[in-house]
Amino acid sequence: MEFTFENNIPIYIQLLDYMKIYLISGVFKAGEKLPSVREFATTFKVNPNTMQKALAELESMNLIYTERTNGKYVTKDEKLIEKLKDEYAMTLTKSYFQGMKRIGLGKADSIKYLERIN
Amino acid sequence: MVLLEVKNLNKKYDDKNVLKDINLKLSSGKIIGLLGKNGAGKTTLIKLINDLLTPTSGEILVKGNKIGVETKKAISYLPERTYLNKQMKVKEVLSYFEDFYDNFDAQKARKLLKDLDLDESQSLSKMSKGMQEKVQLVLVMSRNADLYILDEPLGGVDPATRDYILDTILSNFNENASVIISTHLISDIERVLDEVVFIDKGKIALHSDTDELRKNENASIDEIFRRMFKC
Amino acid sequence: MLIKLLKYDLKYMIKNMSVFYILSIFFAITTRLLSLPEQTVMIGILSKISSGCMIAMIANVVINVMMRSWVRFRDSLYKDEAYLTHTLPVTKNDLYNSKFIQTLIFFFIGFIIVLLSLFVAYYTPDTWLVIKDYIKTITTGFNMSPLFFISIAILLIFLELFNAIQCGFLGIILGYKKNNGKIGFSVLFGFIIYLVAQTLVLGLVFVYGLFDPTVMELFKSGTISINVNAFKILAIVASILYVVIIFSMSIIGKKLLNKGVNIE
Repeated sequence: MEFTFENNIPIYIQLLDYMKIYLISGVFKAGEKLPSVREFATTFKVNPNTMQKALAELESMNLIYTERTNGKYVTKDEKLIEKLKDEYAMTLTKSYFQGMKRIGLGKADSIKYLERIN
Repeated sequence: MVLLEVKNLNKKYDDKNVLKDINLKLSSGKIIGLLGKNGAGKTTLIKLINDLLTPTSGEILVKGNKIGVETKKAISYLPERTYLNKQMKVKEVLSYFEDFYDNFDAQKARKLLKDLDLDESQSLSKMSKGMQEKVQLVLVMSRNADLYILDEPLGGVDPATRDYILDTILSNFNENASVIISTHLISDIERVLDEVVFIDKGKIALHSDTDELRKNENASIDEIFRRMFKC
Repeated sequence: MLIKLLKYDLKYMIKNMSVFYILSIFFAITTRLLSLPEQTVMIGILSKISSGCMIAMIANVVINVMMRSWVRFRDSLYKDEAYLTHTLPVTKNDLYNSKFIQTLIFFFIGFIIVLLSLFVAYYTPDTWLVIKDYIKTITTGFNMSPLFFISIAILLIFLELFNAIQCGFLGIILGYKKNNGKIGFSVLFGFIIYLVAQTLVLGLVFVYGLFDPTVMELFKSGTISINVNAFKILAIVASILYVVIIFSMSIIGKKLLNKGVNIE
């Protein structure tokens, strides 16, 4: 997979986003051991410091945790990941409705459009 | 830890002030972009750090040492020009580096040369300028140095090589070392930078954390640079 | 580190000088071979050409070492290669010493090649006797032993060569401190330093002469009867002065180099 980054948004925020998607979509499952910072940095082709910063952010959100000497793990709390998924879906949805609102379509109309997609 | 400290540095040529009262502190474990237009003083600053120019006044310390044998052990420098004796073969250059630098990893160099399809038994005089530059990059990145200084490493190379260079820098970079990359091609490298130093008309115009700057200005480093210097 | 620097400086010189060594010996051999058969006009012409080539190569063996030493000194300390030279973890003194010792070694090698070539081309028991006789006449005239005469003559030639080399190095160091016309100034400064060094030797010999009348006689024009010992003393005094001047110049050169360079 090719990762692209926008230069006008802090890179760690974009990394955080990629990582959230990984967790939500189950690329890394609850309780699973994560690759090292360096491995992540190589895959994303980013500075290890930036990767570290993104992981630290995830950790402060309790989505991952560090086991002394063993490395980083995905949280065992599946509810937390569910919540993340819910929030993320909500954000996407909100941004959809916002876009529709900008072209003059209300919620009901927007839903009609959604239903047209199979 | 402070890796590089520049104090009140001035450089004059004839009566022209090329660098004016430069003060800079850089720490270990960072990739730092030294950004500026052509002729802003980037190369002058780099040459002063590498003992190729003599300061008019001021001081440069690397790991607390004044410029000399100790600092040269610590710094791995890629100049913007080809500096190897063209009569030598690549493998002779390898043993040259092995002889002079205790921290040179010949095995790593051989691997990188192979990756770039460079032939060790070829003489430098038979190589194109681009190939010679790649050989130099390999030599410089194969040293386990404390500070890598790369002067315009991306100028004049094709996009594939550019990616390879950035990958090489990233994968060799460790928390005890720092990398200074000077360039005017900001958008190509800004995603890997921890810190940026803007240099303009011989002065340091800005020194900041990259992501902080993006967040505060809500723009890319390239845009911020263009805005500041209207180019 | 000096040894490592020297290793590469010597390698470079060998690469560039060996062709002259080989040619010099080659023409010495052909000169000798052409002297063996019956001398016809054709062989005579070939022999002249061959010995001419040999002499040219012999001159090259000495002059080229000098020119190459200067050019290499400039290239590795002030041109593109300087970007590597000055970033090596070695002292500026080692850089200077390596270049000087390299020249010294190649003057010796050149000297041996010259002797060898001359020997191969021209040696016969008769010419040896003539040379021996000649040296004897000179040495008895000046009250020296032949061994002393030969040693001091060779020593003086070498000291003169080293002196010239150092003047060139110093000239380059000073010339490259200039912002413009670096090469022109290098040559000019080198020449001036050479003149100064020569004047200094001569002047100091004169000063010595103030205390030693045998040497002073050399400075008095029209003197016909020079003391037989005068040349002997002069040679010794001049050698010592040369050594002192060469040594001081190398110290000055290193001092200047240590003050820092400005590479374009």
